[in-house]
Amino acid sequence: MSLFGATSGFGSSGDRCLGNDVEVTSPPDDSISCLAFSPPLHLCFQILIMGSSFTLLPKQMHTGPVLDVCWSDDGSKVFTASCDKTAKMWDLNSNQAMQIAQHEGPIKAIHWIKDFSVSSLQFWDTRSPNPMMSLQMPERCYCADVVYPMAVVATAERGLIVYQLENQPSEFRRIDSPLKHQHRCVAIFKDKQNKPTGFALGSIEGRVAIHYINPPNPAKDNFTFKCHRSNGTNTATPQDIYAVNAISFHPVHGTLATVGSDGRFSFWDKDARTKLKTSEQLDQPITACCFNSNGNIFAYASSYDWSKGHEYYNPQKKNYIFLRNAAEELKPRNKKW
Amino acid sequence: MPVCNFFLQGRCRYGDKCWNEHPAGGGGGGGGGGGYNSNNSYNSPAQQQPRGGGFGNRVWVNPSQQKGSYIQPSSFSSHGTEEWGGGGGGGGGGGENDWGRGGGGGRRDNVSFSAPNRFSTLGTPSTFERGGGGQQVETIQMDMDIWESSGQWGFSCYSSFKTPLSGFTDLSPEELRLEYLSRSASGEVQIYVNAIKELINQWRSRVQELKVMNPATRTALLAEINNPAPQASSSDFGSATVFGSATDGMESKGFGAPAPAASNTFSFAAPSGGFGSLAAPGFGSALAAPTQPPSGFGSSIAAAPNAASFSFAAPSTNKPAATSGFGSASGFNFTSTQNAGGGGFGSGFGRVEGLGSSGFGKTASPPAAGVGSAGGASNSLFSHESNTTPEELNQFKAKRFTLGQIPLKPPPVDLLVV
Repeated sequence: MSLFGATSGFGSSGDRCLGNDVEVTSPPDDSISCLAFSPPLHLCFQILIMGSSFTLLPKQMHTGPVLDVCWSDDGSKVFTASCDKTAKMWDLNSNQAMQIAQHEGPIKAIHWIKDFSVSSLQFWDTRSPNPMMSLQMPERCYCADVVYPMAVVATAERGLIVYQLENQPSEFRRIDSPLKHQHRCVAIFKDKQNKPTGFALGSIEGRVAIHYINPPNPAKDNFTFKCHRSNGTNTATPQDIYAVNAISFHPVHGTLATVGSDGRFSFWDKDARTKLKTSEQLDQPITACCFNSNGNIFAYASSYDWSKGHEYYNPQKKNYIFLRNAAEELKPRNKKW
Repeated sequence: MPVCNFFLQGRCRYGDKCWNEHPAGGGGGGGGGGGYNSNNSYNSPAQQQPRGGGFGNRVWVNPSQQKGSYIQPSSFSSHGTEEWGGGGGGGGGGGENDWGRGGGGGRRDNVSFSAPNRFSTLGTPSTFERGGGGQQVETIQMDMDIWESSGQWGFSCYSSFKTPLSGFTDLSPEELRLEYLSRSASGEVQIYVNAIKELINQWRSRVQELKVMNPATRTALLAEINNPAPQASSSDFGSATVFGSATDGMESKGFGAPAPAASNTFSFAAPSGGFGSLAAPGFGSALAAPTQPPSGFGSSIAAAPNAASFSFAAPSTNKPAATSGFGSASGFNFTSTQNAGGGGFGSGFGRVEGLGSSGFGKTASPPAAGVGSAGGASNSLFSHESNTTPEELNQFKAKRFTLGQIPLKPPPVDLLVV
């Protein structure tokens, strides 16, 4: 099914680019804010941010930049969340888009959970026009992740809230942020029994915190690590520090990938607490990343993330989406202890 | 220095030679971070300790390395005394002092810190009761330094220890970009540009101020840290929480409610500029409430009750530093921005234009806009006689400082003997 470009379809046989990663042909014209793989089929879907004319989606779906996208469980519907304060459901089979949610402000995150679709903490049943439930958040939501039955929202002013979603979704806990700076992205990880057990939180300061919800030993189990800095571990000389734009966990191995404003992505093993790999530097920041359902493909998008303000915004610059074979590189290391 | 547990029980066998603190009256001990392992048995899986955290090493850690309980030592970079800094000299109350020397010394010979200088905390201008304060302030200074030189995103809130520091606005790149888009759609890009420049200036000057850390800032900071206000994030915004608790003579009561926030906001965004959150009626208000951009000058607590907007939205009602104890320097800075701010948008921030650069770079020079901390330094190097309490005066007059009563303020000029 062709999902992007006004013209062609999935460009997996597209041109090779640097480093053996496959480049997706006809990428979008504007910065990419999110990537999502559909569950059963290995389709990559990306959304444009900015601009009201979307060449990507067949119809003009939103009047404002689209910030998040997610698939339904069966892969037949796509949900998009946008700055025009609405969330829409796009039925791929019938190619129709329907508005399902209305907020007072731009919607930053949208997630599908079982039969509900959660968007910025309003819980919607896709069939009804009114939210099933609304939960107030103390501050603007900057990022969120959902793995049933847990949802984590990171807000402005270093807020961190965990929700439990069984029965009646409710706030489970507010956590003191382990990071000193603004939160940028969050991703939940699961334990061996496939239950969500903690999350990784990235900030603008090149640092990721791994935080377990109920760890046996909080001081030892929770930790932070530095990433996306120019100097590696040498802290003597001043280093450039970049924001961590997105975090994604490998569905099988439990290892994670981070992408940052420095234009690199890195793979990490949080249990062995080591870095597995860092990529070469791209010339644009990497804004979004995701794994497909069996963990074989890692997709990352390179486009401008506004980390240097409007002066560096160059609409002429081409945006890229790359696909990488992720089967081997993300295998966890042997544990050190 | 951690307090000696044995002394508290009355059975310290080292007596005066003890490396821990023997508080007068058996009480005391500074505040300190929580969240440490209290492994009271020596047999704890110590091979993990050095990697997982320097907690057992608290006694010997150079106090200036302390980073509070927040930053868990990272094992990714195995170097670095910073990473070890889980514990700290100054803060410690009770509990873990069994590590002290006894078994701890034997097992911890991998600790390569310099010979424990029990009196190193005296070097920092803080008392023993508030031993934590000194290191915290240094941490903040270091962080500011890194922040400034690293080119990282400036519009972020910052906090070292639970409480967010005032003077920093939290804005995400998406919000800015959205703003840019809507402005360019309506042809008002210049407004956006000016607003951004102003924000950058404020950020810069706040960072400078914290880096330079003149005594006024330091005291303000310590007050903020030690009177932890409930996090702004958990309040309905517009409430004076962050500032309301800071004691000295602050008049931020005018802060009040979301009401001012909702109406007169910021011309930045259309009334519903907030992102996603249900609680955020507007962009400007979300920004202004927990932090005080216009008050980055002089004392951080001199937060004018200007919940509604950045300084350039409307002629703000900032009262120049209510806390006059911190010198008129801050007042001076304020008014100068006032004028600029009052002029409204696009009215030619002359000084601001002069800065030229896009601002997110690594420019080391403090903003030339005349609102730097340089202005603040002039009259706050020494306190006035009237500002010092009799005890402090006695301390200054005495030949040596007494432990536990070292004043936080600088001495009055005339007491100095050169």
